[in-house]
Formats: sequence, structure tokens, C-alpha cells
Amino acid sequence: MDTNMKILVVDDFSTMRRIIKNLLKDLGFSNIQEADDGNTALPMLNQGDFDFVVTDWNMPGMQGIDLLRAIRADDKLKHLPVLMVTAEAKKEQIVAAAQAGVNGYVVKPFTAATLKEKLDKIFQRLG
Amino acid sequence: MSETTTSLMSLAEAHQLVKYLENGQVIEANAAIDAAALRSAPEIFTEVGKLTRQLHDSLNNFQLDARITGLVEEDIPDAESRLEYVIEETEKAANTTMDALEKSMPITEEINTRIAEILPEWDKLMSREIVVGEFKALCLELDKLLKDTSQETQQLNSLMTEVLMAQGYQDLTGQVIRRVITLVKEVQDNLVHMLTVFGEPVVDKKAEPENKIKAEGPVIDAEQRDDVVNGQDDVDDLLSSLGF
Repeated sequence: MDTNMKILVVDDFSTMRRIIKNLLKDLGFSNIQEADDGNTALPMLNQGDFDFVVTDWNMPGMQGIDLLRAIRADDKLKHLPVLMVTAEAKKEQIVAAAQAGVNGYVVKPFTAATLKEKLDKIFQRLG
Repeated sequence: MSETTTSLMSLAEAHQLVKYLENGQVIEANAAIDAAALRSAPEIFTEVGKLTRQLHDSLNNFQLDARITGLVEEDIPDAESRLEYVIEETEKAANTTMDALEKSMPITEEINTRIAEILPEWDKLMSREIVVGEFKALCLELDKLLKDTSQETQQLNSLMTEVLMAQGYQDLTGQVIRRVITLVKEVQDNLVHMLTVFGEPVVDKKAEPENKIKAEGPVIDAEQRDDVVNGQDDVDDLLSSLGF
């Protein structure tokens, strides 16, 4: 796992961004940036060479699922691994996220161990 | 007086009416007044008819507005259970945080006490006043302290992570409260609407069709529903059933 990778954390609640950022730091990642919804995230992704995206679903403005679809629809971004960390727990939502090409789905409230496990899995699969 | 306004009674009729009254012909006088009044009646009837129709439509539309029934039957009870959820989550977070603190404090106190015990010997070493026997004892004590402290700080670290994770309640309850605020606003709009409904015709607002998946926020009654997952294990099972 390359701990120098550049990660974008997208969530409308700054407390949740802080929690995820702290957990990522605990796992050794330090190159982390934040956005508060898809509309803020997309231009950042387009400009900066991000390696990984962690996003919430339910946000004002552009929602996480639409951000995911926008990433997958963009030739420059579609390779980006996306982990969804969200309170959205409807089965159809999880299926929709999977169909849209999400790399992992963590439902809130979650534990530090769960987040680490999902990250490990994603990076394993990416090789 | 406008030229276009036509009088309900002509001058000749008015003279005639005065004559009837002077002669004490009450019946004829009343008939003349009624005849004049009837000329304006159709307009009044039409106006009253229009108003009645408007009132009727307004009342009908108001009763039929499905949104109001929905608000009363579903959304307000739903808001109640959402607010209950907020209380539960904040209580859980407060307890988790305090539990972790209560476990952390004895650990730091213990480390502090043991350092205080060793410190006099350590000071002797630093000022080169220590004798060989004391030095050996100090080394053993220090060895034990370092190893124990290393373990204890790891324990502290995981307790701190617990505190960190507990703060997630702010996000979850915030989402729920936002929804309740939206509902309160809608109720308010409907009340305003109710106040104005008798003044003007109501435009029947249909509920917008749900053509895409809507974000719902934290699920507060997962046990009673079968369209949602109950925890991360369910998510993992669902995804692996999809070949993920």
C-alpha cells in the first residue's frame, strides 16, 4: 500500500471528514484533501493527480452516486478507485453503487477496523 | 356618475312610484320596487354562484391534497422517531466517549505514578550519585516501565480511536435533523397555504414522481425493514452475492 498516495475525502459534514482523515492518517496516509460535495470534488479531481476517492452519498449539491458516475464517465478519471462511506443502507442503493462501479461500500456507523479492511481489499485488488 | 351606468329605474317609473306612495297604494309601490330590483338580480346570482363554486373547489382540493394526509399520517410520526434516533445516537456517543475516557485516565495515572517512583533514582543517576546496586535495580525498573508503557500507550491509542469514531454521531444526527427541518418547513408552508386557500383557487400540487433513487439518510428502523441492510456484514453479503 503506497502511503504517499493522494486521497480526496468527500463528505458534507466536516466532522466526518475529520474522522476519516484521522483514520487514514492512523493507517499512514498523509496526503489527504477534502471536498464537501461532488461539485467541489470534480474540479479538484480534474486538476490534481488524485489516486483514491472516499465519498459520502447524501450531500447537498452533487451526490456521491453522481460523483461516482461522473468519475466513471470521464476517460481521465475512470481508473480512480472509489470507496463509498455512507449512511445510505437501502439494498437498491448498494446495488446501484455496485453497478456504477464503486470499489467498496462502507455503511455508517462504521469502525476503524472496517475502513482499514475495505481499504486493504481495494489496494490488494488493484495490485 | 358614469354615462355607461344605466339606472335600474327610469325617471317615469320613479314618478309613478312616488304617485303610488302619495296615494297610499302600497301593493303597487312594492311591486314597482321589486320589478326594478329584479333587473340587477341575475348578476348577483352569477357572482354568488361563482363564489360558491370557488369555495367548493378550494375545500375539495384542500381535502384531496394527498401531501397533507401524508404529512399527518406518515411524515410527522416519522419525524418523531427520527428525533428519538437523534437522542439515542447522541447518548450512545456520549457514553462511548466517557467509557473510553474512564478507561484512559487510570492508565495515564498509572504511568505518571510509576515515573514519579523512578524519578528520584533517575535524578541520582543523572547527577552521578548512584551506586552500583541501585543502578542495577534502576535498570530493571526502567526496563519494565518502558515495556509496560509501550503496551499502555497502544491501549490509549485504541481508546482514542474509539473516541474519534464516536464523533460520527454528529454527521448521522445532523442528516436526520436536516430532514426534520425540511418537514417542519413543509408543514409551515401547508399552514400558510391553509390560511390563503379560501382567498384564491388552489393549484393542486401532485407529489413529484420518484424516478431515481433518493438519498434517505441514516436508517432509523433497520430491524423493521427488509429493503435495507443492517450493518456492514449485510453490505458485504449483498455485494458478494453480486459477484463483487
